[in-house]
Amino acid sequence: MHISDGVLPISVAVGGYVASAVLVAWSARRTRSEELPKLAVMTAAFFIASLVHVPFGPTSVHLLIPGLTGALLGSSAFLSIGLGLLLQSLLFQFGGITALGANALMMGLPALACGWFFQRYKGRTQLRQVIIGGLAGALGTALAAIILAALLVTGGEDFFGIAKIVLLAHLPVIIIEGVVSAFTIGFLARVKPALLQPAFTRSL
Amino acid sequence: MKIIHKVIVVIVLGLFLAGLPSSLPAQTPPKESPKEIVALLKEQSNKLSNDLRRIHREIAALRVDLDKPGIKDVFGGIGYIFGLFGVAAFVASRRKE
Repeated sequence: MHISDGVLPISVAVGGYVASAVLVAWSARRTRSEELPKLAVMTAAFFIASLVHVPFGPTSVHLLIPGLTGALLGSSAFLSIGLGLLLQSLLFQFGGITALGANALMMGLPALACGWFFQRYKGRTQLRQVIIGGLAGALGTALAAIILAALLVTGGEDFFGIAKIVLLAHLPVIIIEGVVSAFTIGFLARVKPALLQPAFTRSL
Repeated sequence: MKIIHKVIVVIVLGLFLAGLPSSLPAQTPPKESPKEIVALLKEQSNKLSNDLRRIHREIAALRVDLDKPGIKDVFGGIGYIFGLFGVAAFVASRRKE
């Protein structure tokens, strides 16, 4: 799920850059220096996750984990995802460098939404955190697919057709992301619950 | 004596010359009909094109492998991330003082 060079019209690419620059700045301002190590680890995890191929039926899909990143980082997630995507496009040739802004929006907005969703509904019990974490993971990928469809519409496609195709193609990813996020968050809730308290709600 | 010598030489030469035409066709490939030659050539070219196709496939697979990010890219990226966040942490700590 990466937009390549030359797919989007120039105005959308530039708009994506501007919007993500604003969001990165906002995200960076809200990041506290004590959280930098955690942010670095999650950024590295996000950067690597796209290389983890999960065999699924005849094909294999790769993880995206915007939902998990958002759930763990809260409002800092956008900064993390922006940097992760920049390095992915430079080193792995995933997505074009001109479409980087749009790609960052596509992954970052779901991350922010999932971060809010997870913090809002995670409750206190571990089981609930696992369930909500899994939902957040699945939601992140689903939202990213919808934003991808919305961005592709600007390239002159019809929204519902594209959205249907993209969502169907990513259905396995959505399920796997949900499972992976649920397991990760369950593990963290048992081992280090403090990691599940990002700055999102503390400063809000 | 000389006559006998000459006779022997002539006989040997004659035998040699007589033997030559019979041994010559054995060295060159036996004459085949053009159809057989064409079949042979076709078989050969089939084999070659099979080999070529295999090589093409291998080149395509190699290209795909080359496009895949290698271990160097992975660790380089992780290094970049930790390095950048390290700089950020350094700046943040300097600002606090």
